[in-house]
Amino acid sequence: MLVPLLWLQEFIDLPTTDVGELSYALDMLGLTVESVETIRPEWSDVLVGKVLEIAPHPDADKIRICQVDTGSGPTQIICGAWNFEAGAMVPVAAPGAILSGELEIGRRDIRGVESNGMICSERELGLGDDHAGILVLDGDPEIGTPLGDHVELPDLVFDLDITPNRPDAMSIVGVARDLAAHFGIEHHVPEIQMSTVGGSTEIVVRVDDPVGCRRFTAREIRGVTVGPSPFNIRHRLHKIGIRSISNVVDVTNYVMFELGHPLHAFDADSIAGARLVVKRASEGETLLTLDDEERALTPEDLIIYDDEGPTSMSGTMGGARSEVSETTRRVLMEAASWDPPTIMYMSRRHDLRSEASTRFERGVDPNLADIANQRASAMVAALTGGEILDGAVDVIGTPTVPAVVDLRSSDVERLLGPGFTVDSVSAILTRLGMQVEGSEPMVVTVPTYRPDVTRPADLIEEVARIHGFDNFEATLPSGPSGGLTPEQQRQRILQSALTGAGLHQAVNLPFVGVEDLAHLRSELAESQLLTVKNPLRDEESKLRPTMLPGLLDAIRYNLSHGAGSVGLFEIGKVFFSVPDEDDPRLPAQPDRVAWAVVGDVGTETLGGAFIKADGAVSLALWFRLARSLGLRDIEIRSSSAPGFHPGRTAEVLLAGVPVGHVGELSPRTGRAFEIAGRVAVAELDLAPLLRQVSPVEAKTPSVFPFIEFDLSFLVDPSQNVSELLAAMRGAGGELIETERVFDEFVSPDLGEKKAVAIRYRLRANDRTLTNEDAGPIRTAMIEAAQKTGAVLRGA
Amino acid sequence: MSSPNEQVRIQGRSNLPSVVDPISALDQAISRAPAAVAAVDSLDGLATLESSLLGKESPVGEVRRRMATLDPLDKPRVGSRLNEAAEIINQLLTARRAELEDEDEGRRLLEESIDVTLESVTFPTGSLHLIQQTIDEAVDIFVGLGYRVASGPEAELAWYNFDALNTPRTHPSRLESDTMYLDWGDPEDEVLLRTHTSPVQARWMERHEPPVYIVVPGRTYRTDTVDATHLPVFHQIEGLAVDTDIKFSDLKGTLLHFAREFFGPQSKVRMRPHFFPFTEPSAELDVSCFACDGGEPGCRVCGGSGWVELLGCGMVDPNVLEAVGYDPAQLTGFAFGVGVERLAMVRHGIDTVKHFIDNDVRFLEQF
Ligand SMILES: [Zn+2]
Repeated sequence: MLVPLLWLQEFIDLPTTDVGELSYALDMLGLTVESVETIRPEWSDVLVGKVLEIAPHPDADKIRICQVDTGSGPTQIICGAWNFEAGAMVPVAAPGAILSGELEIGRRDIRGVESNGMICSERELGLGDDHAGILVLDGDPEIGTPLGDHVELPDLVFDLDITPNRPDAMSIVGVARDLAAHFGIEHHVPEIQMSTVGGSTEIVVRVDDPVGCRRFTAREIRGVTVGPSPFNIRHRLHKIGIRSISNVVDVTNYVMFELGHPLHAFDADSIAGARLVVKRASEGETLLTLDDEERALTPEDLIIYDDEGPTSMSGTMGGARSEVSETTRRVLMEAASWDPPTIMYMSRRHDLRSEASTRFERGVDPNLADIANQRASAMVAALTGGEILDGAVDVIGTPTVPAVVDLRSSDVERLLGPGFTVDSVSAILTRLGMQVEGSEPMVVTVPTYRPDVTRPADLIEEVARIHGFDNFEATLPSGPSGGLTPEQQRQRILQSALTGAGLHQAVNLPFVGVEDLAHLRSELAESQLLTVKNPLRDEESKLRPTMLPGLLDAIRYNLSHGAGSVGLFEIGKVFFSVPDEDDPRLPAQPDRVAWAVVGDVGTETLGGAFIKADGAVSLALWFRLARSLGLRDIEIRSSSAPGFHPGRTAEVLLAGVPVGHVGELSPRTGRAFEIAGRVAVAELDLAPLLRQVSPVEAKTPSVFPFIEFDLSFLVDPSQNVSELLAAMRGAGGELIETERVFDEFVSPDLGEKKAVAIRYRLRANDRTLTNEDAGPIRTAMIEAAQKTGAVLRGA
Repeated sequence: MSSPNEQVRIQGRSNLPSVVDPISALDQAISRAPAAVAAVDSLDGLATLESSLLGKESPVGEVRRRMATLDPLDKPRVGSRLNEAAEIINQLLTARRAELEDEDEGRRLLEESIDVTLESVTFPTGSLHLIQQTIDEAVDIFVGLGYRVASGPEAELAWYNFDALNTPRTHPSRLESDTMYLDWGDPEDEVLLRTHTSPVQARWMERHEPPVYIVVPGRTYRTDTVDATHLPVFHQIEGLAVDTDIKFSDLKGTLLHFAREFFGPQSKVRMRPHFFPFTEPSAELDVSCFACDGGEPGCRVCGGSGWVELLGCGMVDPNVLEAVGYDPAQLTGFAFGVGVERLAMVRHGIDTVKHFIDNDVRFLEQF
């Protein structure tokens, strides 16, 4: 909200006008200063002049010759405006004056007649938008005085961000009230001098929706002459960005900013049937609003009707049909108080956020309605020459009574710390316009303009706010004792293991389209996917059931930006449309860790890296991860999964439970994501990886010598080497210290068999092994291998 | 010019009389040896010198050969002097050999110099996403204060996201223009993508007895399209402390501690009244600008104000405590929520949030 300092000062005698000090005060009140604009006159040497006489120009009929007195006798000035006559007081820029900060006025010859300066319009002076005519000054300013003496400049305009709980601060008077509490001084409210004439308005108001309309006041002003507003009103509105329309409409805006209560002026003669009815709209009805938009109404819209149908939208925008115009003679001034949610939904439904709706959404005090109405009616009468009828309309839908809250100083101290007494607390609350009676508890009556204050906690907040947040100490609580859980610590280990292998962590949006999933040849039915009802983009309305699309997109992004090799991993949730195990009210949303790697991996030398990402590399990453996490009881099975290479993918089991897949991307999926070459990919459930493992039982390394021997077998190419190793490990028992496969190949020379060579190292903990020890073990291992179908080579 | 080795050899020969007293021959050999050994500058030369000092033709060798012919009475004296001479000369040779071997290796090592200014072998170095690094770092600050780290569902019941946090049914943040709703569950129990990490507050308090000291890092969602300052998915760290004696000053002190740990020990904080449905009083916390010395015009971080808006916080609203079955008459607390992207952007001068989801390795590996 924009607040000009000079307007503000009408209601408060501020102890400072320093921008910094005022900004600080406003910030500390929670009226956050977004920015401050300094407005200075854009002119110099412009004086008040009186138009003495006006004569036609001999050679031009669009301009006139004026004799103007600026204190040193008549001066001749040519002027093209026609909105004034002799006797008008006008701003005169004499030769040498500066306009718009740069334009120097000189003596000129206009069609053979000398012109000694210029009579200025509002726009030429930067005081408004009006340039249809020159600025005619109101009242009786002294001839020859500087224009600046009669204009509220220079001024500061504060742009305040008012939080939604503070409807009371959405006005100049409200800001003055808060500042008064801050500085501990008085503030004033506008004095209303309303004189009325006898008689009642014939317009009848009926409120059919007392929840939607809390109060409806209306007052008739008759005999008005609609015209421009006085300059000081136009100028104040100009400073806060409101365009001047007419004296009647300007007053409704002016009073809204001054007091915080929106108003609407009807052309009373345009109210069909002299009757207004407040009720919800019916489907199919339309209303042409002031902005010339034909709006289709819904049954939730709260509308003001006359006998011809909808004529105004409550609290949001008036209708064109009953708009005040130049010909309006009777004005019905409405100040009504509307239900905040009704206005909030309606203004959003119609994409119609106005100064009025933003106030009603917060909750405008119904008890302010008639005060605002009187203020506005009085101003309209004064400006338009109209008369206010005595008998006004005041329909109360729902009465609004002040909240009464009990508060103990101990409650305040419990939250805010020591030092708050009945005296200090009630002093603060009184400054905010609350009535405080009694002590322990203090019985606090809250003014109805503070609908946010209904409980002790709300009062304590006010005490803290006015006490000043800066005046609190900084302390630390003494209680806590915590730390990371084992799972959280293990996630750090997991992160280090993957970054240590050269992978970069990615963060992707979890939205996917059905098409992305089709690329992965997902077997998930669409019904198993979780759908966002109001997605950002319709083509990405699903929540990811797999991490791979995001990672593959990121791989493609990096490749297309020139990267030759990329390794990414991501930790995050996937979502399914089935009940969650922890909370069945929710959809399942397990955490996953996934990676995707293309190109060179591992240690790089000047000659280039020597390993290319593929399924084997993916498995290597998995083993590195498993070792870092100390995972035991791991099982690896040949497997396939959607999007994975059918011959280069493993299923990983921990303690017999599948946790995901590790391997290579299927080339078809790679092509769909525009990635050429092999991609090492994996996707694993995170929770089982992070589950705490039992502490390792230490083994003392043997100090005795070892015996090494190599065994070489031919096996069926379809046979997994792990099976062979397991069989031999079973036979070799405890004495096997290490086993290392050092060769594995398939060759036609071997009759399409797979050759596997393994080096074993045997060692005992308690003695030196002899060939007599090792011989039978070796034999047993070979026999065990042969039982799996392996044939010992070179035997 | 002849080499020093040759000179030694020539000297050795020319100074050897045909018949001399063996003792004086040995004395002479001992006295001449140090200079001769010191003059040698290669291992080859040293080998030559060794034979000219100790070999058969050397004065020492002469004496050794003549031992058999000596008067038996002279033998012990000459023999002992002979051993002495051999030992002294050997020691000299050994010491010099070690020196020459060192020099030799030094030369060899220099010959195999590499260009140390060139990183010719690179071990793989990955990186944690800046968001993760920021979360881990911030979380550790609170863990250091004794907090626990909690997490919760991202697809969340509207009840936890709004109702439990004292957010009225008609609050605008519930509108579809702000919140993404999921096609799940029944309409009375709406499920949405959580708009903040605050619902974990309620979930934690439901399952744990006070006192509560937790931080909750995690993903949050809003109906915002991607631009320089908005993402539909972003990260927050929520903090919550509930205990029998938590005061407003504890909130201030805790966040001051955080600011000093995260932005540097000179940091100051200031709180301004604000509004959130779930805290009262509510505040926005500004941290003093770490890039300029307070209010440098046009500062890239603070824009000249000297303060950087950092997070929202406040004292837990009694309704929130009541909603989870805590007794607001016994307990007070504070809560705060800080945007992870905001923390990272402020500290690293990042110009657009898009960097956080592009996953461009060139961006990621900087941190
Ligand atoms: Zn700065």
